[in-house]
Amino acid sequence: MKKTVNLAAGIVLLLFLLAISGCNSGASDETGQQAQQSAQKTGTLQFIANGEDFVRQGFVSKDGWAITFDHVYVNLSDITAYQADPPYDAHAGGAVQAQNKAALAGTYTVDLALGDENADPILVGEVTDAVSGHYNAISWKMIRATEGPAEGYSMMIKGMAEKDGQTVDFTIKDEQEYLYTGGDYVGDERKGVLQEGGTANVEMTFHFDHIFGDAETPLEDELNTGAPGFKPFASIAKNGRVDVDMATLESMITQEDYQKLQAMLPTLGHVGEGHCNVEKL
Amino acid sequence: MKKIFIIFITVLLMLWPVAAFAHGVDINYQTKTAVEIVAKFDTGQPVSGAQVIVYAPDNPTEPWVTGKADENGRYIFTPDPSKPGTWDVQVRLAGHGGVVHVPVGGDNTAASGSTGYGTIQIVVMSACVIWGFIGTALYFGRRKS
Repeated sequence: MKKTVNLAAGIVLLLFLLAISGCNSGASDETGQQAQQSAQKTGTLQFIANGEDFVRQGFVSKDGWAITFDHVYVNLSDITAYQADPPYDAHAGGAVQAQNKAALAGTYTVDLALGDENADPILVGEVTDAVSGHYNAISWKMIRATEGPAEGYSMMIKGMAEKDGQTVDFTIKDEQEYLYTGGDYVGDERKGVLQEGGTANVEMTFHFDHIFGDAETPLEDELNTGAPGFKPFASIAKNGRVDVDMATLESMITQEDYQKLQAMLPTLGHVGEGHCNVEKL
Repeated sequence: MKKIFIIFITVLLMLWPVAAFAHGVDINYQTKTAVEIVAKFDTGQPVSGAQVIVYAPDNPTEPWVTGKADENGRYIFTPDPSKPGTWDVQVRLAGHGGVVHVPVGGDNTAASGSTGYGTIQIVVMSACVIWGFIGTALYFGRRKS
């Protein structure tokens, strides 16, 4: 009798363990299937570079110079979009944690001033088999170009400024390299939400009013108090021209203006209106 | 007749309180968790009157609600608890902006689910408990026999 009871108890326990084990194994299979399905759901993710209307249409600097741009070259590499989890916090910085990424191979010299004043932002490239989901973070490097019109520089700005009948043709070059990492796009529309078989885009936005300031923004606004404006460049123009890189500029303008410029240059990269974390490389 | 009169008075008295509560207020309550957003510039100044857009986790492209921050950069909304997950709140003003991510509901469940015990540990613990019951039953069963 005792043996029978023990045997029955043992069978009950064994069945219980098998039941739990079976449930667990089913859950694992389900997770595996979901992952596989998710991997198969893809779409096209486009990478956009945008100098905004400031670059396309020109604007008036904080010190009254009407600025228009012929070319604004930025040399971009290591462009990667992420489905960040947890969402990326640009203020905290650090690396993006994401299971799904979409990356553009290669280096791209992009002219943000390409096209007329109503031109669309620049399509840098696209990934046609990006895993569907919400791409809520992006990173990119701005490195010195090894060829092309901006060779030797990570950024080159060419344009004309005019004030009170005086005109200055300018070329401003930056040799510093940067790594930008941004979170969710901030703007009128939501970007980066890629549906299966669909097309979505993520944007690298560049704010050139950070260098020159903006006459349409109050002068006491942080944007204008931090921006050097165009006056420092105008003051070193010869025969209506100025062509400088950062190394030569340092000895030509006041330390205050130079420091302001050096503080602003890394802040050009944004995601819409959202700030990026930036590292100098 | 007297009986009818008594019934009439009784009915009248029964109706009286109904008339008295005709302008009463039926008050119920339901507790909900509100989320308060406070947006400030890096300088510490409040982002007064900023545009606020709230996205629910089940529809990341369409705003769930939009609004405006007060003069202190504050905005309060009550997320739908039936939509657990990360709610994204975008705050913008004159070219400046950001997004804050608010975990709602589901994360708490997930947190309470991740107690630190592995699957094997849970199975072993369950087996021990079951075996305890069986052992107890066997013990008392043996005493009777």
